[in-house]
Amino acid sequence: MSASSGEPLLSARELTKTFTSRGPGGVLGRRVAFTAVDRVSFDIRAGETLAVVGESGSGKSTTARMAAKLMEPTGGSLEFAGEDVTRAEGPALARFRKDVQVVFQDPYSSLNPRHTVERILMAPLDYQGIAPKGGRRALTKELMERVGLDPDHSQRYPAQFSGGQAQRIGIARALAVGPRLVICDEAVSALDMSVRAQVLDLLRRLQRESGFAYLFIAHDLAVVRRIAHRVAVMSGGRIVEAGPCERVFADPRDPYTRTLLAAIPRINPAWDRARRARADRASDPSQEAPHG
Amino acid sequence: MIRYLIGRLAGVVLILFAVCLFTYLIFFQLSPDPAVMICGKTCTEERIGAIREALGLDRPFLSQFGAFLGGIFAGRDYGSGATLVHCPAPCLGYSFQTDESVWSMITARLPVSATLAVGAAVLWLLVGVAAGLLSAVRQGTWWDRGAMALALGGISVPNYVLALVLQYVLVVKLEWLPFPSDVAFSDDPARWFQSYLMPWMVLAAGYACLYARLTRTQVIETLSENFLRTARAKGLSRPLVLRRHALRPALTPVTTLFGMDFAGLLGGALITETVFGLGGIGKLAADSIAKNDQPVIMAVTLLAAFFVVVGNVVVDLVYTALDPRVRIR
Amino acid sequence: MSARAGLLVVEDLTVTLPTTRGPVDVVKGVSFTVDRDDTLGIVGESGSGKSMTSLAIMGLLPRGATATGSVRLDGEELLGRPDRELRRIRGDGISMVFQDPLSSLNPYYTVGLQIEEAYRAHRGGSRKAARAVAVEALTQVGIADAERRAGHYPHQFSGGQRQRVMIATALVCSPSLLIADEPTTALDVTVQAQILRLLAGLQERTGTGMLFITHDLAVVSSLARRILVMREGDPVEYGEAERIFSDPHHPYTRALLESVPRIDDDAEVWL
Repeated sequence: MSASSGEPLLSARELTKTFTSRGPGGVLGRRVAFTAVDRVSFDIRAGETLAVVGESGSGKSTTARMAAKLMEPTGGSLEFAGEDVTRAEGPALARFRKDVQVVFQDPYSSLNPRHTVERILMAPLDYQGIAPKGGRRALTKELMERVGLDPDHSQRYPAQFSGGQAQRIGIARALAVGPRLVICDEAVSALDMSVRAQVLDLLRRLQRESGFAYLFIAHDLAVVRRIAHRVAVMSGGRIVEAGPCERVFADPRDPYTRTLLAAIPRINPAWDRARRARADRASDPSQEAPHG
Repeated sequence: MIRYLIGRLAGVVLILFAVCLFTYLIFFQLSPDPAVMICGKTCTEERIGAIREALGLDRPFLSQFGAFLGGIFAGRDYGSGATLVHCPAPCLGYSFQTDESVWSMITARLPVSATLAVGAAVLWLLVGVAAGLLSAVRQGTWWDRGAMALALGGISVPNYVLALVLQYVLVVKLEWLPFPSDVAFSDDPARWFQSYLMPWMVLAAGYACLYARLTRTQVIETLSENFLRTARAKGLSRPLVLRRHALRPALTPVTTLFGMDFAGLLGGALITETVFGLGGIGKLAADSIAKNDQPVIMAVTLLAAFFVVVGNVVVDLVYTALDPRVRIR
Repeated sequence: MSARAGLLVVEDLTVTLPTTRGPVDVVKGVSFTVDRDDTLGIVGESGSGKSMTSLAIMGLLPRGATATGSVRLDGEELLGRPDRELRRIRGDGISMVFQDPLSSLNPYYTVGLQIEEAYRAHRGGSRKAARAVAVEALTQVGIADAERRAGHYPHQFSGGQRQRVMIATALVCSPSLLIADEPTTALDVTVQAQILRLLAGLQERTGTGMLFITHDLAVVSSLARRILVMREGDPVEYGEAERIFSDPHHPYTRALLESVPRIDDDAEVWL
């Protein structure tokens, strides 16, 4: 499938976040300002994945929080489906929450350890005051199946799942209300390599099935390459480069992007090609016995 | 640093002002009419009126409060003409009961409370921290379990119970110690020590138990820190690892708590002083509350607040010195 | 088999941890060799036992854990030695760099002191002499203005600089073996590249043998001559790096390599 063009689903214009704190000196201390995000603008269209990459302190997580309306921007505006939601409250905010869901980095700490999977998955519906069609149990099982969990485990607790499975619970919870945009804040960073690949595959499959958009926050360019349609590279609170995924990786224009790409550790390309060639031969019997 | 200190001092002044205002409001405005209290049983309307005028109780609240504050810093005069009494700074008024200057009542009793607090603090730090350390290092042994069970028991025993038991055993049965009395150190150092030993033990017991448990938890937590593993990986000897890398991080929070506890005790140890009949600030507070002696109650409250607020600042400064992460440029 | 005995020879190392459900083997019969001037990469995901292996070599296993088999440094058996004797080897014969440099440095002391004490634990001498060594070590790992920086506290350094400080501490006694346990996992990718370059450069200069533990196959591919892949305590595959990467025998190694996302050339794109 391809990303649909047309009106943006989420549109951020000049989003800015400045943190102020009092310096030393208690009530007499000078106010110290720090700009974490500096006039950041981006659009996400329905069904597409925009990845925001950057190193620690780049402002990517603050950007994600503002986009999810978990944090008030100091300046700029945020539009969702044509509606200005920058200062949305009450029913407008509730609508936004139903359409935009977040998956966090640490699967365990973002799931209540005392609640069963069913209760966790149904919580977004409970907050929204929506009664699930076909009953809670049925919807829970359906969600668990969609994210590749055993539906018979709906009465278990988060600690009884592995890290990758716990993250699947987090994803299922985001899906419960049928969102149009899912914000993944370093959603696969805490996972082991092999598990990470599986969860990325799951995220792609879910997007294919349901057509929602992703705002995907990550520090790992290799992960981003695997999931994003478009990439925005952040550094020092600003977007230094943005563009289609293929273009940014093949032809990085900003020096910082180039440094970032060059720094990624790589498996010796010759070894890797040899391995893949060998794997292809093994899976393709027609090439296996050329001497026939 | 200078800027920080000035800021903190401004904060202290602000808080103490607020404390003054509220205690004044509570004790003079919301309590029974002081004039009636002073006047006693055989009282006429005229006498009450005269007393009110002498104390300035007929004036509006803010003016009264201003006079009170002014008295602390500059002294004040009560009454007028022939009945004029000058109360030199720092003036906290006169006791309704004995007509004594409240300031001199406090200065007379503060040494007793301070002696009690210092002695008890030395005792509970030595015993509590040492026991906690030993327990942490020997975690899971019979010593650890025994000491911690004892400490938990110790926390649960009210100190007046402990006071009575100790008094019965040490004074009445074994006759090892005299009955406590406030002997001055300069009069008879040996008797002074014997007199205070039991009150110190009683006052320190609860704190020692608490500190033993806290120290143990802190040390055990520190022992699992990554930097302790680093210290061992460098090949440092076990005593050095413990002394340098475990102790300082573990005891810094204990120091903070100690500062607050000690400051609190300077404001009087009400139960211990009362049980042993020691004339400290705590006893003064208990007596003045029993007799509704408002100027004294108020002064004692202010004194306790003063120690706590100043103690808080001292603790913060000490913490700053102990933990480089909060050091101020 | 070469006649030259390895610097570190580990044979049939098994580590057992006590749990509430009885003892569990977290490392099961692992064998490998590290030579001087050589790097062995141990690769595994969480729970593979790779970190327990390194702690067993250092004699720093958690309370109640037992290690059997053989760990020899320069032919000298380390397993079963009393802590007192192992202490002389830690930081001198074998040093270690850990994953999270911030929590691995004591926040209460200057980095200068923390390097000095590593030196003095083995070489003795005055604090002043040790300070000079510490400053030199900091310079070696690329900390500018080392003399002044030695008086700073860990929180005054960036993540990458902190790891440089850890490396300086580890190398101050010129150990024959350096164990690096996920030394770049907590760092940003550009900083990671710098630290990897630093480690490679230092090894070239000093000839230190290195045991590099990581979850990231791409990280070791440029660094290690040989690779040991571990999974749930089991040694899965052990061999020359080129062979492991180009012709992995074990299905788990293949799956692990398959899961490494590619960034260059013919990476699969799913649009």
